[in-house]
Amino acid sequence: MSKKLLLQNIHIEGIRNYDIYRKNGGYTSVEKALKMTPDAIVEEVKQSGLRGRGGAGFPTGMKWSFIAKPAGVPRHLVCNADESEPGTFKDRYLMEHIPHLLIEGLIISSFALGSNHSYIYIRGEYAWIATILERAIAEAKQNGWLGKNILKSGFDCEIYVHRGAGAYICGEETALLESLEGKRGNPRIKPPFPAIKGLWERPTVVNNVETLAAVVPIINMGASAYAQIGVGKSTGTKLLSACGNINKPGIYEIDMTISVEEFIYSDAYCGGIAHGKKLKACIPGGSSVPILPTHLLLKTAKNETRYMNYESLSDGGFATGSMLGSGGFIVFDEDQCVVKHTYTLARFYRHESCGQCSPCREGTGWMEKILLNIEHGKGRMSDIDLLWDIQSKIEGNTICPLGDAAAWPVAAAIRHFREEFEWHIKNPVECLKRNYGLLKELVTT
Amino acid sequence: MVFDQEILEQINEITTHYPAEHKKAALLPVLHAVQDRYTYLSVAVLDAVADLLQLKKIEVYEVATFYSMYWLEPHGKYVFEVCQTGPCMLKGCDHIISYISKTLNIKPGETTADGLFTLKTVECLGACGYAPMMQLGKNYCEHLTTDKIDKIIADCKKNAQS
Repeated sequence: MSKKLLLQNIHIEGIRNYDIYRKNGGYTSVEKALKMTPDAIVEEVKQSGLRGRGGAGFPTGMKWSFIAKPAGVPRHLVCNADESEPGTFKDRYLMEHIPHLLIEGLIISSFALGSNHSYIYIRGEYAWIATILERAIAEAKQNGWLGKNILKSGFDCEIYVHRGAGAYICGEETALLESLEGKRGNPRIKPPFPAIKGLWERPTVVNNVETLAAVVPIINMGASAYAQIGVGKSTGTKLLSACGNINKPGIYEIDMTISVEEFIYSDAYCGGIAHGKKLKACIPGGSSVPILPTHLLLKTAKNETRYMNYESLSDGGFATGSMLGSGGFIVFDEDQCVVKHTYTLARFYRHESCGQCSPCREGTGWMEKILLNIEHGKGRMSDIDLLWDIQSKIEGNTICPLGDAAAWPVAAAIRHFREEFEWHIKNPVECLKRNYGLLKELVTT
Repeated sequence: MVFDQEILEQINEITTHYPAEHKKAALLPVLHAVQDRYTYLSVAVLDAVADLLQLKKIEVYEVATFYSMYWLEPHGKYVFEVCQTGPCMLKGCDHIISYISKTLNIKPGETTADGLFTLKTVECLGACGYAPMMQLGKNYCEHLTTDKIDKIIADCKKNAQS
């Protein structure tokens, strides 16, 4: 069983409330951190090897060290709680059940970065969680952990919860900042990076919920102890959201040393494939990352065991590997249709494209239409190459990574399941029959 | 359109979260607050928000039309927002959408004649492990089955009468 650093107290009754959280060691990291210098905290986070838990896996300490410090200009820390990557629901679990852990991490991180006004940008649909967070912030303030001159350190800090309003693109950090400023969520061209010009053109760091929560155990146990957990550049623990056709969907904290096979079949985690079916495929890191068929999921192309960490999951590049991404682990049983699933993802990205860049705005719509045709027995053999061509022209040609995120699932589905696309095209009648459940009368083609 | 004191106070509180010179930041939360009150964002409501936050009308319109949670038209008292993205599809969301559609005799995007229910298909709501699911008001209904749908519909009808 993996070591737990974030969720070890989550099953304590009432842990959502301040008193119980505090009784169980809560906020001790703030007491420790406020006696350190901000630079020492940044150094500690660097040494811990913590990588951004939102999906990109960028080293957090390094990101922090980039923040500009022009005299007289306020700096901001913004927590990215816009969790929207299909397959990902870990931040929600953490905020809903142990909200003070995030607040605690935010206080230390705000101190390290010199942010006196920090924001939690939470997806609009998580309305009840925004209320939970606001309550936790009020409790923390009543008990002297927020407000003016915290623990007589001279440091002032306020945290505000800001609800989005339904836009996947706002999980991209510059779109998030635009949205927080009260605008459409159109990503900005980088550079300048937010660390130089972010919120209101002020130096800003944007970090994922889980990343900020992980700062708490790093300060409590020390960077070197944290860095000893895990393997290689995958240090510490990672929250995984497991969903799809498994016996035990849910949130699991792992130390990144376990194998993919153990994660899927062990009763400590996913508990195997539901209804005694066989494993067909898996998207291991949220909908944007490449899908892998069973043989490449459990073993790498070199026939080595694949592990649940950043390096092992990406072994083989996109030709034979995938990514850990956001930790959204989507499992397919043998009866699932890869074409249909890819169609739902294409529709998702078309819906969520902000419309700024032509390759993404137009390309996502074309991919959706072509995939819908193939799924409903109206495809042509040339459509497969056409899809490949479109995705290749979206990738790398847009301001933000949404274009890549839309292209990768289509590319990987064709790469590994081309015969399934061909089967749809060769068997139009059967593939309509196979569309169990889909409301044919609702489909407009 | 003039807002009453209660909502004005709510808006004033929201604006304290942001620097005085960046009042525009309050726009998304303010739109949530007025939509909660008036159920949807009519042009009159949007114009009043623009006046209040000292923004150009277009600045408010472009935001209200960008985000999927803002309603620009009236909708049913109860809106079933059923997720249809990949992970929910693997767990049979099509059956759920189909069942609601047949039970209420409306297609996605439509409202029942009595104005009670609207069915809307939406993209991933971050509840993939608890699929199939839908959003109902400010809450999530998860692990949906046809029996659960029947119960939810019956409860909504009962609440609407009382």
